[in-house]
Amino acid sequence: MKTLLKNGRILDPSQELDLIGSLVIENDQIVAYGQEVDERDADEVYDCTGCWITPGLVDPHVHLREPGDEHKETILTGTQAAAAGGYTTICCMPNTTPALDTPSLIDFILDRAASPEAGGVFVAPVGALTVGLKGEQLSDLAALKKAGIVAASDEENPVQNSMIMTRAMETCVQLDLPIMAHCEDASLSNGGAMNEGAMSAMLGLQGMPRSAEEIMVMRNCLLSLHTGCQLHILRVSTWGAVEMIRQAKYLGAPVSCEICPHHFALTEEAVGEFNPHFKTTPPLRTQVDIDILTQALADGTIDCIASDHSPHATYEVQVPFEEAPFGMVGLETVVGVTLTYLTHKNILTPLETARKLSTGPADILRLEAGTLKPGETPVAQVTVIDPSLEWTFDVAKTFSKGKNTPFHGMKFRGKAVLTFCGSEIYRDAQFDAQRYAAVY
Amino acid sequence: MSRHLLGIRHLERSDIEELLALSHEFKRKIQASRNLERYDRKVVGLMFFEDSTRTRVSFEQAAHYLGYRATNFSSAGSSMCKGETLKDTILTLRYERLEALVMRHRSSGAPSLAARYFGGPVINAGDGQHEHPTQALGDALTIIERKGELKGLTVAIVGDVSHSRVARSNAWLLSKMGAEVRFVGPRTLMPSNTSLLPGTVYYDLPSGIENADVVITLRLQRERMTDGLLSSVNEYTRLYQVNRQTLRLAAKDCLVMHPGPLNRGVEMDDLAADSDASAINQQVENGIFVRMASLHWVFEDTPKQPVKPTKKIAVKA
Repeated sequence: MKTLLKNGRILDPSQELDLIGSLVIENDQIVAYGQEVDERDADEVYDCTGCWITPGLVDPHVHLREPGDEHKETILTGTQAAAAGGYTTICCMPNTTPALDTPSLIDFILDRAASPEAGGVFVAPVGALTVGLKGEQLSDLAALKKAGIVAASDEENPVQNSMIMTRAMETCVQLDLPIMAHCEDASLSNGGAMNEGAMSAMLGLQGMPRSAEEIMVMRNCLLSLHTGCQLHILRVSTWGAVEMIRQAKYLGAPVSCEICPHHFALTEEAVGEFNPHFKTTPPLRTQVDIDILTQALADGTIDCIASDHSPHATYEVQVPFEEAPFGMVGLETVVGVTLTYLTHKNILTPLETARKLSTGPADILRLEAGTLKPGETPVAQVTVIDPSLEWTFDVAKTFSKGKNTPFHGMKFRGKAVLTFCGSEIYRDAQFDAQRYAAVY
Repeated sequence: MSRHLLGIRHLERSDIEELLALSHEFKRKIQASRNLERYDRKVVGLMFFEDSTRTRVSFEQAAHYLGYRATNFSSAGSSMCKGETLKDTILTLRYERLEALVMRHRSSGAPSLAARYFGGPVINAGDGQHEHPTQALGDALTIIERKGELKGLTVAIVGDVSHSRVARSNAWLLSKMGAEVRFVGPRTLMPSNTSLLPGTVYYDLPSGIENADVVITLRLQRERMTDGLLSSVNEYTRLYQVNRQTLRLAAKDCLVMHPGPLNRGVEMDDLAADSDASAINQQVENGIFVRMASLHWVFEDTPKQPVKPTKKIAVKA
């Protein structure tokens, strides 16, 4: 089987490549790309005129909810949503029930992800940093690493005790394992439901102060600096946190960070009349934050974009705001939101957009992904994005089980239309109708 | 779309004027022992998920005077104890053919959730730290009776503004009606950002109360001490108690109010609470009339459902 992606804009940040050309996938591998490729004998041809051809997208931060919370999402539905969002590699978070703190659970995840009914994307599990995410005793990280975890994290229950975090970092230096840290000082944010500010005061909701995030970002950066442990900071949301990270990088700490689309597209005002679809942690902040966060994306202080895909059952979200769970789905909207709010506003170039969505996270977590170079990934990982496709997001049509999104009904410009992870794993219907030709 | 009373924030000035005029009208009729014209017999559900004496009794009285029937519902002893969600409880009450819901809930915004699923009118009887609109209406009626009008008055709201739904509703109402609102209290009990709330912040009582025409004191919850927001009741009393001494700074004939329940000797001393300047009992009584007005007002805008002739059920002989 030979597939020709013809006449697209090839964007490969791993080689600083930005050119108009074609790409050939044969027997699940990329065999050629560029301005002059052998187009003969293709079995199928996609006309990619006006589209981007990028390395398969990489999401460093996804909640697949399995095992234990299959009513919210399963590995099957979550990976299908990933494929539809343009992703070929996703990292799944350990805050499941039970938490991913033993090697057998990692085996389970990898088995389920590899099953033929799943979405066909690579799943790179993140292990629990401490047993049961309790922040007390370290998990057997060596065994977890052997089982296949790419990083360790306590996710939404971040380690509060600084001594335990130091020990964790020392252990991870030895194991050459990155730590992914959600940064929140629980003593400051406990009981909070949204950003502490004008909106929380008006709505009478307890706020989560920005200092709760920034203090923990600062602590973790300092511990990373002093231990040498690779630290990836999950979902930054305040300008103060970004400035701390900028400083840590300047000092030479091995620190990286990510941002989620809702944190650069939405502000606290979006909560409106207590809409629980806008409840997330860290909370939606203010326009001042967005201005500095987007600037930090452009200058490279923020390394990548993550969905923080956090599905919940509908009945769990249809409750009073304070009682609603944190988080929103994202896998199927990241490309649309990113292109609409960053690329088309000239904050990111197309090549930088591809870097934030693919090569950036792949490099941080040392994944075999994020590049078009043949042989550097186990199979071809390619995503085609139509940057000018205008579409309206309809949550009823998504693959994810979770329908908790702040973006339902919103119009976007730019969409992932074709995803290859070895074989083809997603094809947009409209793209198929207009651009596909099978050659007999 | 039904008409709801979810908060004063959502109301137009004309709505407030209409509600206050209605309240005044009801009060006049009740006091004159005149019979009210027969309103349609409505069935109103009183859902109190949080303890309340005055508000619940007041709504019961209001419903009684209007000739409505009030059905009480509390979460204790209900299917919510069996794990039913709030949404499903609301839907159940809708199909039990309750025609309006009066709701008190510990979570801010819970009545707007109820409004989404109930279908008929929903009245907020206090939600978390968000709003308590009928309290503000009762307070406004009281102030008007004593001061003539709201416009041009300076009103100091003293105490735990941060956690107070009464403070928010009063501030919205008074500012919409042209009064100057001051929030007075310690930094730990004041929201850190009040830019979306209609009032000016004062952190000390003497400057906040200066020349005030009305002082509304807020209840101090005992939890604030355990939360570490205040060191002691004594400290609060020394700095923020409204008493004869501090009232000297206020305007002459300053009106003193409290939404209750009062911690005597904390927010106010006996002299202030029992003086001629105090309107506390009048506030309670006016609560009934504004709740009558609220119940009447939410139904007023509801389009009349055309009555379909009931089908006769054929019974086989």
